[in-house]
Amino acid sequence: MIPKILRGTGLTALVAGLLTFLTGCAADAELDTLNPQGPSARSIDNLFDPVFYVAVVVFIFVFAGTFIIWWRFRDDHSDEEFPHQFHGDTRLELAWTIVPTLILVVISVFTLITLRGLNETEANAVTIEVDGAVTQWEPEVVVVGQQWWWEFRYYLNGLDGVDLTDARHLPPADIVTANQMVIPAGEEIELAITSRDVIHSFWIPALNGKKDAAPGRVHPWKLEADEPGVYFGQCTEFCGLSHSRMRMQVVAVTPDDFSAWVAEQLQPAVEPQAAAAQRGMEIYQSQCARCHVVDGFNDGSGADLVANAAPNLTHLMSRTTYAGGIFNMYEPNGSLDRTQLEAWLRDSPAEKPAYAEGRRGMPAMGLDEGQIDDVVAYLTTLGRAPALDIIAATEVE
Amino acid sequence: MTATTPVEDVVDQPLGVYTRPRGGNGWRDWVTTVDHKKIGILYGVAALFFFVVGGIEALLIRLQLATPNGTVLGADMYNQVFTMHGVTMIFLAAMPLSAAFANYLIPLQIGARDVAFPRLNALSFWVFLAGGIVLNLSWVLGGAPDGGWFGYAPNTGIVFSPSPGMDFYALGLQITGVASLMSSINLTVTILNMRAPGMTLFRMPVFTWMMLVTQLLLVFAMPVIAVALFLLAFSRLFGARFFDPSVGGDALLWQHLFWIFGHPEVYILILPSFGIISEVIPTFSRKPIFGYPFMVFSGIAIGFMGWGVWAHHMFVSGIGPISVAAFSLSTMFIAVPTGVKILNWMATMWGGRIKFSAPMLFAVGVVSMFTIGGLSGVTHAISPADTQQTDTYYIVAHFHYVIFGGIIFGLFAGLYFWWPKVFGHMLSDLIGKVNFWVMLVGFNLTFGPMHVLGLQGMSRRIDSYSPGFGFELWNMVSTIGSFLIALSIAIFVVNVIMSAMRARGQAPCGPDPWDARSLEWLTPNPTPVHNFDEVPVVESLDEFWHRKYGTDDDGRVVRVATAEEVCEDGSAVGVHLPSPSFWPIVFASGLPFIALGLIFNLWLTVPGGLLVVMAIYAWIFEPVDDPDAAHGDHDDHGGDEVTADTTEEAPVV
Repeated sequence: MIPKILRGTGLTALVAGLLTFLTGCAADAELDTLNPQGPSARSIDNLFDPVFYVAVVVFIFVFAGTFIIWWRFRDDHSDEEFPHQFHGDTRLELAWTIVPTLILVVISVFTLITLRGLNETEANAVTIEVDGAVTQWEPEVVVVGQQWWWEFRYYLNGLDGVDLTDARHLPPADIVTANQMVIPAGEEIELAITSRDVIHSFWIPALNGKKDAAPGRVHPWKLEADEPGVYFGQCTEFCGLSHSRMRMQVVAVTPDDFSAWVAEQLQPAVEPQAAAAQRGMEIYQSQCARCHVVDGFNDGSGADLVANAAPNLTHLMSRTTYAGGIFNMYEPNGSLDRTQLEAWLRDSPAEKPAYAEGRRGMPAMGLDEGQIDDVVAYLTTLGRAPALDIIAATEVE
Repeated sequence: MTATTPVEDVVDQPLGVYTRPRGGNGWRDWVTTVDHKKIGILYGVAALFFFVVGGIEALLIRLQLATPNGTVLGADMYNQVFTMHGVTMIFLAAMPLSAAFANYLIPLQIGARDVAFPRLNALSFWVFLAGGIVLNLSWVLGGAPDGGWFGYAPNTGIVFSPSPGMDFYALGLQITGVASLMSSINLTVTILNMRAPGMTLFRMPVFTWMMLVTQLLLVFAMPVIAVALFLLAFSRLFGARFFDPSVGGDALLWQHLFWIFGHPEVYILILPSFGIISEVIPTFSRKPIFGYPFMVFSGIAIGFMGWGVWAHHMFVSGIGPISVAAFSLSTMFIAVPTGVKILNWMATMWGGRIKFSAPMLFAVGVVSMFTIGGLSGVTHAISPADTQQTDTYYIVAHFHYVIFGGIIFGLFAGLYFWWPKVFGHMLSDLIGKVNFWVMLVGFNLTFGPMHVLGLQGMSRRIDSYSPGFGFELWNMVSTIGSFLIALSIAIFVVNVIMSAMRARGQAPCGPDPWDARSLEWLTPNPTPVHNFDEVPVVESLDEFWHRKYGTDDDGRVVRVATAEEVCEDGSAVGVHLPSPSFWPIVFASGLPFIALGLIFNLWLTVPGGLLVVMAIYAWIFEPVDDPDAAHGDHDDHGGDEVTADTTEEAPVV
């Protein structure tokens, strides 16, 4: 019966229409799970779609049956005779035990094949050229979740001998960034996912399924983007107060741009020249450096926080979002969104719920307006804005 | 003890130190009752109350999410509300409503006078209520639990959840768990030992069978959650660190313990509903259940397989690919016995002459809506797809189609079906049909769009979302749908009130309003306190139906007796029944003090402990029974003069 229904062209059109409806109304959905942009996500989608079709067929079968029963067997008082009292039919019951089992056996074979593919790694070394020096980088990124932002750590000499078991005390990395992971497009990137406090979940739906970040554990996972672009993500394991405000993005760039990005990120911060920025740097030293790190200015020997870390600000301006990926650093035309940044520095718990009193999240620093202007002046010296197309693509709204 | 015992209710008792209260009609009767029917009603009232509480929490959630950047609740309050919505609906509404049906109906369906341990039954209810009160006291004593009903460590630890909310969660659920455990042992023993003569296991109604599987699942699942909750309580209250990896603990330990309980819990919730509609569908189709042995064994199969699928809640938790593969397969194949049930229900209806009264509408609602939940379940049993779907609204949609579509609809089918049995009058069928259709539309408007939201990538448990991700439209639709559900519940309440008012002063409805099949309808409506005038002797499955119908020479079904002839009239007097007791409620009233004492001030545990210890002693020393209660006056062990010939007159008492 089911294969016969499957052959019906009208039904195929209906199912196709349903899927188009689901995805079609998701034209602006950056987190759409049915719009794969990388090999892993595509293999998942290729498994999900046919199973979804099968489910729709069974759905139609059951609903058609229900309506037929409704129409044919309802009591219309035309006949007072009792219906035939049959108690069962062993052959029929065996049939509808065995047929679904066989369907599921077929599905399970494809499930296992897909599962194996998702757990295989075949990363190739990525060539990075920094100031004429060529490095072969095993593309591995350490992903660290904490309340309520993500950190990405790049160890350019590989992860051999890098002890990740205690995420609150990780060995120094070559590049430490937050909320936006920059990767070369077309390359498989290995991830080592862990957490500094509670369980989070790392998820870029366009590139792959999710994987939990758990304290004391390092979970392997992988990502690959077909094309350069910006891919959105959201923490998907409930992690407390600001769980909904813990977002992240993967920025995939061409190999050349990736080399350039690495070269830039390896530069430590330089002391600013302008007077306002100088004053801002002093405020940074007295207030912000308790938790934040600017390479070349203060080291990351520990933050006065439960997670023992706050975002590394050395190249803050190279990132287009901040505060767990919820605010835009720039206007679409590339100019700084100064209003939002000042509001964040004025009273961050009002902008994003946090338990600052419990050393989780950034507290209100009690800066006056002049000090805020100075700090903004200093922060804008940290790193360089990315290309305008990336700024436009990372706009959250 | 006489100080707490109203004198007029007490008979002088030479046998023991403590006297037992006597039944009456006032509130004292309700708090001391050990009658399984009254306890069933108590469970039902408490469960429906908590159902409304959990529903209000659901409406608050939907209001917060109706528009982007919602500000109705704020993040902190939202986390408390969604946690309590889940806890309330599962532990304080769905489980006790199932317990209401189990308590009321199991003894009647197996032809027994009461459950095996009547006082323990009363204790189960009062302890459950104590747990529900403790959980909800959190709202006014420092904040409700905010770690989700699943309470993943270490987010529930004292550092990450400093309010006392999760203490209330650990201790409140521990108390309700004790209640469930006692009740499940009691009902298991009842079903296995208290069946009427001739009521073999394979003559038991499917409802009783599903309840037996449910109770066995509870017996083995509740200890697991008890262990998990003890670890959590000790971590929070006494500085233990079972889930802290920095000292060798493991955050995933909680997840395994929680879901080894949590997945059988899903079947604990759904099997009673399956049992209910397995009674309703044959009755209204006027046919026996199709494939009774298949229905029973698929239920047992679900009960066994339910223990082997828990890690499908953990496909992305970091367990290895071999575990993921194994649990993926086991999860897929548990769909088989469930699918068998769906098709057997449809085959039961096929060829019938179906009356679509309100109970039948709700039962067909289960068959169709649960099918949707089951099918979406298969799409995330395939674990690679689950890595995209888990913790999104796709899952929220899935389990609401299972829990609301499969369980709530089933429980409403049961409410409409057995209402005359319990209260002696029918609920309005017309209002019941309106109730069904409003609920069906509201339910699908609420949870259908969540499939789309989840596939579009909307995470679960987020208190707000930004515009621009395509979430706006379907969240608004969902919120509108949730208020339609609320309307349908209001219609139900109106139906209850109006039907009761209309029935006031009227004679009870007839003995067999639905032309039913199973033994509980042998007793008059409402059921007399002693259940059966004479314990029936059972000759077949669907015993009650076979007493009404026979076959003529051509094999056609013919009525051989009217319901009035078959049914008992409830006129037996002096039947020996278990006496009421004060001590269950006294025992239960000590537990909240112990819980609050552990959270706030250990001294509070002293009065709580004293109450509990006193109740245990009194329980032991109170007389076994009232020696004057007509023991031996009436032969309630008889039945040998009753034969199962369906042409026989109603048993004469």
